[in-house]
Amino acid sequence: MTGLSANPALSRVADRVQEDRRRSRYISGALTVALTIMVAWSVDVTVIQDTDWERIGSVANVWEATSHFIGLDLELFPDLLVPAIETLLIACLGTAFGLILCIPAAWFGAMNITPYPPITYPLARLMMTLSRSIHEIVWALFFVAVVGLGAMAGVLAIAVRSVGFIAKMTAEAIEDIDYGPVEAIRAVGGSNFQVIVYAILPQVLPQIVSVVIFEWEINIRRSAILGLVGAGGLGLVFFRQMNTFNYHGVTSVIVAILIIILLGEAISYFIRRRMI
Amino acid sequence: MSNRMAAFGGPGKKKLEWRRFRYPESLVSYAGWLIAFTVVVFSIEYLNIPLDRILGMLGRMGDILADRYYPPDIEYIMDMDYFGYVVETIQMAYLGALFGLIITIPIAWFASFNMTPSRRFVYPVARLFGMSCRAVHETIWAILFVSILGFGMLPGVLALTLFSAGFAAKLFAEEIERIDMGPVEAMRSTGANLFQIMLFGVWPQVRVAFTGIAIYTWDVAFRAATVVGFFGAGGMGWYLKRNVLQIETERVAAIILSIIVLVIISEALSAWARRAVMKMK
Repeated sequence: MTGLSANPALSRVADRVQEDRRRSRYISGALTVALTIMVAWSVDVTVIQDTDWERIGSVANVWEATSHFIGLDLELFPDLLVPAIETLLIACLGTAFGLILCIPAAWFGAMNITPYPPITYPLARLMMTLSRSIHEIVWALFFVAVVGLGAMAGVLAIAVRSVGFIAKMTAEAIEDIDYGPVEAIRAVGGSNFQVIVYAILPQVLPQIVSVVIFEWEINIRRSAILGLVGAGGLGLVFFRQMNTFNYHGVTSVIVAILIIILLGEAISYFIRRRMI
Repeated sequence: MSNRMAAFGGPGKKKLEWRRFRYPESLVSYAGWLIAFTVVVFSIEYLNIPLDRILGMLGRMGDILADRYYPPDIEYIMDMDYFGYVVETIQMAYLGALFGLIITIPIAWFASFNMTPSRRFVYPVARLFGMSCRAVHETIWAILFVSILGFGMLPGVLALTLFSAGFAAKLFAEEIERIDMGPVEAMRSTGANLFQIMLFGVWPQVRVAFTGIAIYTWDVAFRAATVVGFFGAGGMGWYLKRNVLQIETERVAAIILSIIVLVIISEALSAWARRAVMKMK
């Protein structure tokens, strides 16, 4: 300590470090208190006041309600094949449409190639935020209202919902490309369009493919539930089984969903490993 | 976001090579494109998607938006009753994310390949648990819990708990797999037990990342919380469902608008908080 105080500059630094440390301790203390109060309040409202403990009853009652679900309705599985294929195809098509929709979004949303930054850039960012902030169920409700019940609504909902993530990752990839090829194409007189096709696209294509496969995997998960609001696929079967109180059938549908998701994950893992 | 970027070969990836047609690789990649194209065409056929009517649908979409959903009934959501639901939704998301994060810590520990106590038994079980939490959509969890526990916020909290556990466990396990094994080896050689290694060898290395993941999880849980209510689990979703069923489209538009605004606010907050945490590193 004496070595520090001998040098005024050093001791000032030491003071500042201590001051910083004290302040960050205050901040984290205040945060902890605030979070604890928030937890206590939330537990009080949600778990103690809002829950009807008498209806739930004892652990035995809960266990009884849960045990309805244990077991499979094996006869249902052949009927699940067509909805499962439908679900997978809705996911594929939704991702493909999403990719088409995301071309303008990614083009406008990448700061270095956006045609007119003050207008197109915020526009693209708005599109991405809208797409990501609205839940797929809400999108599906909207598209069911527009195009009617069926797979089409599901495809559109998934397409719109995937734009945000794909476009954001693509725009970020475009923003840190290597400028050599861009300048080379410009130097030989290429137009903006030619620059995008020959200099930018080849550089970001591997990343786009990888993002799209990742999103496809998530979209299987999403398309499996869109049937709940009338957009076809396994969700519809789930809804019907639930409403007819065929609990074993519900479990069977969940197992089917798990199987196709595992399948999707395996395919996506395989392709992504091949590409790298 | 940075770990996601890395996963997709973001900045700092190996340099791209320019190359001409090569016999097996290029053929495989062309075949891949062909398969992808075939799948798309087949699904258009199989699902009876009327491609020629899509453009017309865009016009109809505009009409429907203008006729039915415009103007949003803002007055309807500007009342204390609705505000109460919004607060409930936030609380639900908060509790769900919190419980989920508490479960996440052991799951991520068991599901990280370098730190798991037993690679043969615990690792696959923990991986499978995390994967099934993630694979089953949060709305399905909500429906199941509602049918077991009845209407209310508790099923919503439980559904969000499983959802955020699955979500955070994956990110956190990846974070643990990336640590520097030096301190862990050092502690192992002095005879520390598993808990001591976790607490003093691993935790200090992943603390900041965990905070970032926690904030991100809260953000995602909030987005999910806005709709779990749709299936009877309290919060804004229940409000939404009521108005959807009554075909009060202008009110539905107002509710969706309020969801968008809230999600954008929470996203901005979480981005700000994550940046602040990263600075403290």
